[in-house]
Amino acid sequence: MKHSLYLMLGLSLIIGTIAAYAQFGGSPEEEVAKQKQQILETSGILPGELFAFEGEELFYLARGPNNVSMEACDFGLGVGVVDGAYAQMPRYFEDTGKVEDIDSRVRTCMMATQGIVKDDVKRSEVVSLSTFIAMRSQGFNQEVSLEHPTAQAMYDIGEALWYSRAGGLDMSCAICHEVNANKRIRLQGLGDVKGQAMASHWPAFRFSNDSMWTMEDRLRGCYNNVSVKPPSHYSDPLIALQMYMSYQANGAPMEAPGFVR
Amino acid sequence: MKRMILLMLSLLFTLALAQDPPTLESVIASGGADFAGVMNAQDESQQLCSVHKNTLPTEMVADFLTLQKSLIQYPESGELMGDWESGMKIFSDSKTGNCYACHQAVPSEVAAGNVGPMLTNYGQRGTSEAIVKYTYEKIYNAWAYQPCSSMYRAGVNGRIDASQAADIVAFLLTPESPINPALNQP
Repeated sequence: MKHSLYLMLGLSLIIGTIAAYAQFGGSPEEEVAKQKQQILETSGILPGELFAFEGEELFYLARGPNNVSMEACDFGLGVGVVDGAYAQMPRYFEDTGKVEDIDSRVRTCMMATQGIVKDDVKRSEVVSLSTFIAMRSQGFNQEVSLEHPTAQAMYDIGEALWYSRAGGLDMSCAICHEVNANKRIRLQGLGDVKGQAMASHWPAFRFSNDSMWTMEDRLRGCYNNVSVKPPSHYSDPLIALQMYMSYQANGAPMEAPGFVR
Repeated sequence: MKRMILLMLSLLFTLALAQDPPTLESVIASGGADFAGVMNAQDESQQLCSVHKNTLPTEMVADFLTLQKSLIQYPESGELMGDWESGMKIFSDSKTGNCYACHQAVPSEVAAGNVGPMLTNYGQRGTSEAIVKYTYEKIYNAWAYQPCSSMYRAGVNGRIDASQAADIVAFLLTPESPINPALNQP
């Protein structure tokens, strides 16, 4: 587990750097750019890439009761093909008969191919693996297909969820990230998620809480922020919303792993 | 023949795997009981704003506004202007009013959002009965004036009660309140 040691060392260095510069004042966008620059100058690498390295190590490791690596899995472009696979997710998979996002497809691979039981699937491993697979789509453009009827159905449901106003704050995704996009809640800028094609920037390292997040984590964070109990990981509301948002981002260059506040 | 059997078998296998197409209901249910509990508790107004993407068809607006008016409750005292100092706390508190999330108010609070209009010197509108009533009703149920507005229905949703809404009205309209620096110059 040589890489894991690097990950630990690298992260502690980076988190130290972030803490040292945490008092930075200025616009949130400037803050992100400045933090990113400072981390690159001090450690030469961004945190997201460290997670991707750990994911890479896990990916090629033969594991589980079936003692196979993830090269035996199909991420949509054929068994063992990783390059460009994330750019087409979420997508419909014939073998499960479902639309899956990167998180759920990694878990499917761990369970169905490696034989790992559900309760032994570690979230941190899914995140690192997803980050690695996502990084291997750099240079590709987002290209989500609605051709399969189930994919189209999930897109339509994702759109309905995007506009669903619920909970004690009467909120929906659209209120912040469409109707009021580019304004601020307190000092936090509201991203134009569809317009700026942010779906193609995840998974991302969030320096505000020093952790690697996939889009699933981000969506769950959003629901928490608006007083709606978030959907569980790997569940269909998260996949449907990503289907909607990623399709809106079609054509955008894949830049994961991202670096965000 | 062997090929035919294999083909039939694979077809059967595919059919067995084919799941019912997902629906909004089945997708929400898959999110877990907590999530489904909130989403399935949408009231009629939230449903209308969701389905129509926050822009109601013109012919529905009048009925919608009537429904929203009917949801407004008033303080038993009938007094729509309460205690401004209490109102200032509720305005700031993220668990109840949480108004700074979207509005600028007292100028010294710099961490204020800009989703809603600036409320600094809101009190310049005066304290006529019409202004007090509008302010109270807007706070209690924002959708009674603007269907599907971004502003949440603080009173209707039980985040604040009628007397707390009246306290916020006082914070906005009382000349001595620090939200109104233009009215309390020495």
